Amino acid sequence: MTAKALAAATGIDYREHLRLPMMPHILCPGCGHGIVLKALLRAIRSLDLDWDRLAFVAGIGCSSRLVGYIDGCTLHTTHGRALTFATGLKLARPDLTVVVITGDGDGLAIGGNHLIHAARRDVDLACLLLNNETYGMTGGQVAPTTVPGSVSTTTPRGATEPPFDACALVTAAGASFVARGATSLPLELDTLIAAAIAHRGFSFVEIESDCPEYFGRYNRLGRAPEMLQQQRRRFDEVDETLAAKRFVGAPPHAGVPRLRTGVLHERKT
Amino acid sequence: MVVDVKTRETSEVETEQLATGCEAIAEAIRLADVDVMAAYPIRPYDGVMQAAAKLIANGKMDVEYIVADGEHSQFEIVKHACAVGSRVFVGSSGVGWFYAFEAIAVTAGLRLPVVAICGNRALDDPGAFGTEHNDSLAVRDLGWLLPWAETAQEALDLALMAWRVGEDRRVSLPVAIGLDGAFLTHSQHIVKIPTQAAVQRFLPKFDLGDRLLHPDNPITIAPQVDQDWLMEIRRQNDHAMRQALGVIREAHADFKTIFGRGGDSPFLDEFMTEDAEVVVIGQGTLSLPMKVAIRRLRKEGHKVGLVRLKWFRPFPTEEVVRSLGRFKAIGVVDRDYSFGSPFYGGVLYNEIRSALYSQASRPAIVGFIAGLGGREIEQPMATEIFEKTEAAARTGLPAGDVCHWIGVRE
Repeated sequence: MTAKALAAATGIDYREHLRLPMMPHILCPGCGHGIVLKALLRAIRSLDLDWDRLAFVAGIGCSSRLVGYIDGCTLHTTHGRALTFATGLKLARPDLTVVVITGDGDGLAIGGNHLIHAARRDVDLACLLLNNETYGMTGGQVAPTTVPGSVSTTTPRGATEPPFDACALVTAAGASFVARGATSLPLELDTLIAAAIAHRGFSFVEIESDCPEYFGRYNRLGRAPEMLQQQRRRFDEVDETLAAKRFVGAPPHAGVPRLRTGVLHERKT
Repeated sequence: MVVDVKTRETSEVETEQLATGCEAIAEAIRLADVDVMAAYPIRPYDGVMQAAAKLIANGKMDVEYIVADGEHSQFEIVKHACAVGSRVFVGSSGVGWFYAFEAIAVTAGLRLPVVAICGNRALDDPGAFGTEHNDSLAVRDLGWLLPWAETAQEALDLALMAWRVGEDRRVSLPVAIGLDGAFLTHSQHIVKIPTQAAVQRFLPKFDLGDRLLHPDNPITIAPQVDQDWLMEIRRQNDHAMRQALGVIREAHADFKTIFGRGGDSPFLDEFMTEDAEVVVIGQGTLSLPMKVAIRRLRKEGHKVGLVRLKWFRPFPTEEVVRSLGRFKAIGVVDRDYSFGSPFYGGVLYNEIRSALYSQASRPAIVGFIAGLGGREIEQPMATEIFEKTEAAARTGLPAGDVCHWIGVRE
């Protein structure tokens, strides 16, 4: 973490950048998306960006609701179409920094086509895809990111289809910056989001987030702290001994793929 | 179609359970032995997804079930499953329904009897989850049959009717059952669940006959016909929709014989109309607040009643004219809008007026737009609707002021 990022992390008053009249927000207790929102606000502060030249575009779903709480130029668009709105916005106003916030259902299912084409065109957008492995807003249905064996309201006996690896997908499609972050590693998230925004070209950050209310309860993963602990254990970078010290046992949905966090692919343009 | 209809057997067991509109539809999917269903989450339709998944997981239902990557692919999947002879189910709500629109339009064009529910929801923007009928009504001109349910029981019954009527060779058209979002999709009623044996008597196996796409029956589905044949094909759709009225009457009669439910008319449900001078007509769950108002107004001496329209497409013109011609004035309550339409009325208002135009005796017709976006139609609003309609019965319609928005903050 750079000195600037550290200063942003310690000195920020989040209320300055939030629409306080919109509170209370709709996110459930323990939802990981608030961690991402805070990291995003810290990343923007560390980059010293002008809020009048910054636009946030989102689709539909829990993650996409974040733009409703940011006190800036925000667009809440149709389901799956955030990247097409953002592409139009960037074409009309190339001077703006455009951040897209989407989810796994919004960005990989109904909007999956736009994701690969935005990556192929390498449009200068920063796309944050918050992956909580479920459709949280509509009640916890199976998503294209749900790990096989996981229970959802549409797979009471466990999901059977293989999930997407979003980072591999957009890398193959041509994105010039691809990273993976996690709500259990919040300060690393600041750096990744800042690097994605600063990058020229299509930058993509998949952020492992948690949905304790639907995904966690159905899969008996505990509450938010337990889910965060288990999430950390999925990452190669985290010291196993550190994870082992904690009280959490092996994840019930064992066999989940190991993940790498950090910048996975970068091509200077 | 030959259906073996016997009189109702006393030994026949039907169970009762508490079910929401969505859960009742899931029971209908089980009873109809649907082969393929595709789903994609959007409120309020998605209650069916969960209810069906639970039936499958509990080993009570065997259906190929796929959660698609969006409504467009969801509706395409069932359309093509139907083309190769599967009985199918699908559904959506509001803007999800609209995202599937390309598939929805061609499903009717291809004469594929897909059965859907539309959990009626307001169209974004601005966002709202509550009921509004414009999602279903958007397909009214395309060749979809459009019934509307009042209760969870009627949702189940109409679904069984939908497969029977839609799959009938004389019709062969898709059906979209309207379920008022929240008011019906998510409210529980006691529902009589018939036995599979009884349903099998009512609902024959789906058979596309010589229109089945199969290697042994090499045919082309959806060829490019251009101006050479398009009008003839459209005319066939028109013919099928005309046939549908009679097929619904037949199916309704059989339904009553087998299940003992369904009311006198397949198309209209009348409430306290015998001596009524003024009635209100509408669709879906509108009837519930209206019935409360009617009982109250009757105690005060008002001769008022309700006519509920059960099928919007095919529009039962003959039945509507016969019924409504008896009254002095009619209030049409639209839970929809049709901006810029004649007299700025709702969709149903203009359909009713059109149906009555050529009649010798024409009651005064007052239009009301109410309950949009899931807004509750409260008793003062219902009273206002009846007062305005009664005024039209007494004094006729004032010029240029025939449609009213009810319960709007000015």
